[in-house]
Amino acid sequence: MFTIVDETIDVGALVAAAQRPDCGAISTFVGTTRIDESSGASVEYLEYEAYRPMADRKLEEIGAEIQERWDARHVSIVHRIGRVDPGEASVAIVVASPRRGPAFEASRYAIERIKEVVPIWKREVWSDGYVWVGSQIGTRP
Amino acid sequence: MTQKSIKVLFFGAAADRAGTRESELSSEASTLDGIWPLLEERHPGLSPMRNTLAFAVNGEYARGGDTVSPGDEVAVLPPVSGG
Repeated sequence: MFTIVDETIDVGALVAAAQRPDCGAISTFVGTTRIDESSGASVEYLEYEAYRPMADRKLEEIGAEIQERWDARHVSIVHRIGRVDPGEASVAIVVASPRRGPAFEASRYAIERIKEVVPIWKREVWSDGYVWVGSQIGTRP
Repeated sequence: MTQKSIKVLFFGAAADRAGTRESELSSEASTLDGIWPLLEERHPGLSPMRNTLAFAVNGEYARGGDTVSPGDEVAVLPPVSGG
């Protein structure tokens, strides 16, 4: 499953869906929103937006790249958009493989590729404005 | 029949700098490099971002020399920051 959602990601359901008798490993990567504190103000939450359906298609392409490189029998990538509060999951990657090596490698590959090619953007919403991550453009004083 | 235009979408910081999320350009078939001056003229706030921007035409990454025709959808993409 490769999809973009605007609500809480059910990681447990994604892992359950990846369990197969021919696989001895399921690698799960969950990216969660991290809050950096700095003087005088703090990040209240992150807000994500995506260019759809291009972003959906790019997630599928990453899945196809993984299938070409590793013996991955099940791959799911789910990215959340909209408001994501501190500590919540913004992305979940689940890879099932007969052995652990490929499962670990493929999930690492997926998150690195997401950060390179998937048209999704996040902004940090602070108490005094916001900043687009990567562009460092926003409304903070 | 009216001439079809090029639809331009702006995302993230580019939408902020453009002051809009969507724009229509009346242009003959051109290239991404060819329509940039039109975008810049209409949305001067984009100029300082130029070197950081990527573009997509009809949902796929495209380069400056790639063709853009009336009816196409162009997306202006700042550095992605998913994950």
